[in-house]
Amino acid sequence: MASISLKRITSTWIITVLVLFVIAIIFGITMRFNQGKFIQISPTSFYSIMTVHGLTMIGIWSVAGLAAVHYLLTRYVEIPTSISVFAFLLTVLGVVMLWISAFIGEFHAGWTFLYPLPFKAVGEAWATPLFLLGLGVLGVAWLVWSVGMLFQILKKYTLSQAFAWQHFGSNPSVETPPLILISTVSLIGIIVCLLSAVVLLVLFFAEYFSNGSYTNDPLLMKNITYFFGHTIANETLYLGLASLYELMPEISKKPKFKTTWYVALAWNCTLVFILTAFFHHLYMDFVQPLGFQMIGQLASYFASLPAAAVTAFSVAVLVYKNQIKWSLSNILFFLGVMGWVIGGVGALIDATISNNIILHNTLWVPAHFHTYNAMGNVLFSLAFFVWVANDFSDLPVDTDIPKYIIAFLLLGGFGFVLMFYFGGALSIPRRFNLYPSEFNEWSWVATAGGWFAVVYLFAILFIFMTILKKCLKVYNFQHAGRKQ
Amino acid sequence: MKDHLFILLLFLAISTAIAGLFLFIFQSSRIENETGMQNPKKKRFFFFIILAAILLVLLSITIPKSPYFIYADKSPAKVVYVAAQQFVFLTSYQAITLENITTEAIEVPANEVVEFRVTSLDVNHGFAIYNDKAELVTQTQAMPGYINKLRWKFTTPGKYNILCLEYCGGGHSFMRSSFTVK
Repeated sequence: MASISLKRITSTWIITVLVLFVIAIIFGITMRFNQGKFIQISPTSFYSIMTVHGLTMIGIWSVAGLAAVHYLLTRYVEIPTSISVFAFLLTVLGVVMLWISAFIGEFHAGWTFLYPLPFKAVGEAWATPLFLLGLGVLGVAWLVWSVGMLFQILKKYTLSQAFAWQHFGSNPSVETPPLILISTVSLIGIIVCLLSAVVLLVLFFAEYFSNGSYTNDPLLMKNITYFFGHTIANETLYLGLASLYELMPEISKKPKFKTTWYVALAWNCTLVFILTAFFHHLYMDFVQPLGFQMIGQLASYFASLPAAAVTAFSVAVLVYKNQIKWSLSNILFFLGVMGWVIGGVGALIDATISNNIILHNTLWVPAHFHTYNAMGNVLFSLAFFVWVANDFSDLPVDTDIPKYIIAFLLLGGFGFVLMFYFGGALSIPRRFNLYPSEFNEWSWVATAGGWFAVVYLFAILFIFMTILKKCLKVYNFQHAGRKQ
Repeated sequence: MKDHLFILLLFLAISTAIAGLFLFIFQSSRIENETGMQNPKKKRFFFFIILAAILLVLLSITIPKSPYFIYADKSPAKVVYVAAQQFVFLTSYQAITLENITTEAIEVPANEVVEFRVTSLDVNHGFAIYNDKAELVTQTQAMPGYINKLRWKFTTPGKYNILCLEYCGGGHSFMRSSFTVK
């Protein structure tokens, strides 16, 4: 059973994530309305908002995934709550630094801060080092948290057991729970990509302090940047799936998912594919070695096999003709798998090099990643939030699913991403504060996307309100004493 | 537009099928006294085999169409040098460097292979060619210190616009140029 201190810090993460999520959605709506000429903001403001929007979204769903696996891992291994508290304090500091850099220093190089853009007149002179330092603080926070959790897993399981390699033989002596396997794979991926971010920051600062005597290689920097950015975005999603494996059967009152040889193989392969698929971000850099381009498409394609044939299929086996008492939690998990799979199809289309030449950096890119984030990963984390909020308080568990929440979520979410897909198919570039004149007639697509996002926001607010009271209960000291 | 429309319709068709399948699975969970999926291991195996076969077929069809192989064995009829910098495109028939900054109007022949040698003088930019119907025809990246060679054969004469598709700062959306195909 989770300690009260773990419940409190988890509740703090949840409230923080949801508050920042609402703010970041409003930033997103602002950008879509500006593109649709429904409102008007300056280019610098637009791109500062774009930078903060991207970073905030990646950041909050990473920590939501980490907080969820931390909470659930305590069922199997002991993890000190202090590392979560440490990560929270540093995350707050890092976010404040980034927001100051963007909103006061007008830093607007995008959340990918692609070298050498941060050095070329994007905001105040102090904003770039502050932004990079802020990223460094976040990197330290999440690295300590991830390493801490992995360390505790490896205290109980050997590395081969954590990877579930014994399941490749018959009659494995130790059974590795899926949560341990998926957490190990995801945490290793996160640790590796955070280490790459450290290398990236060191290279940035080496040039910054060299007074022009040292310059970085733009192709190398681009590879490291996308290795970091792609990997963290995808591993965040897999942390969400770790919650799904652990909780969805339990909430549905069905037998737990077991690790089998194909589950073990799928997740081991997933780690390899995720660490190599990032090459697809560099398809349009023709100077990149051809072998890497091929690896990019192969890894992107094959990553879909374990996702579809193992995870999505297992969810189908769990649900198909198996009478289930649906609750908000397991319906969010189920819908999240659907959104993840649909977003995966959009991603696969874009990861095909011969398509990428007409889709790269068009609105097709935000289309597919918003699909598997807003309609996939976010729903996995929300499902955990709803489930864990019931663990926080003695308040009765809601058994009815408010249908309007589901309707708003589906209509708003899929309507929002559909406008991006239309834009991508129309060749409209991404990351444009205003559309070029030849796309004037399509500006309504952006505005419509913004309004769909408003509908999605209502669904999020309803879910937030549903769980907020229970999350706040955990700070009640009398209640806390009773629970301890 | 044919390719763009095909991609969109393909995506919408697959997505609708997936959504329909999920709805079907969801509805099946609301029927009482059902016994779950029969032979799930066998079904999973066949699902895996079919999916893997589809992916392998798609890979074998699409990889040879990658831009790296297009007109690779042909000699270009015209070479155009492109240097991007915040927030303009410089185009010339001569190489452009920081020491030799030059730009001129470009005209290339229709139905002949044209090679664009694209670089950047500052940050990363995109070099995307749009036809007069605002359809993205082809593209590459403009990266400082590197030259990306993009080969294309324009079959339709007319004015083509160049837009930057890699975010490059506050003036990104205003960065554009054009050339003529005759």
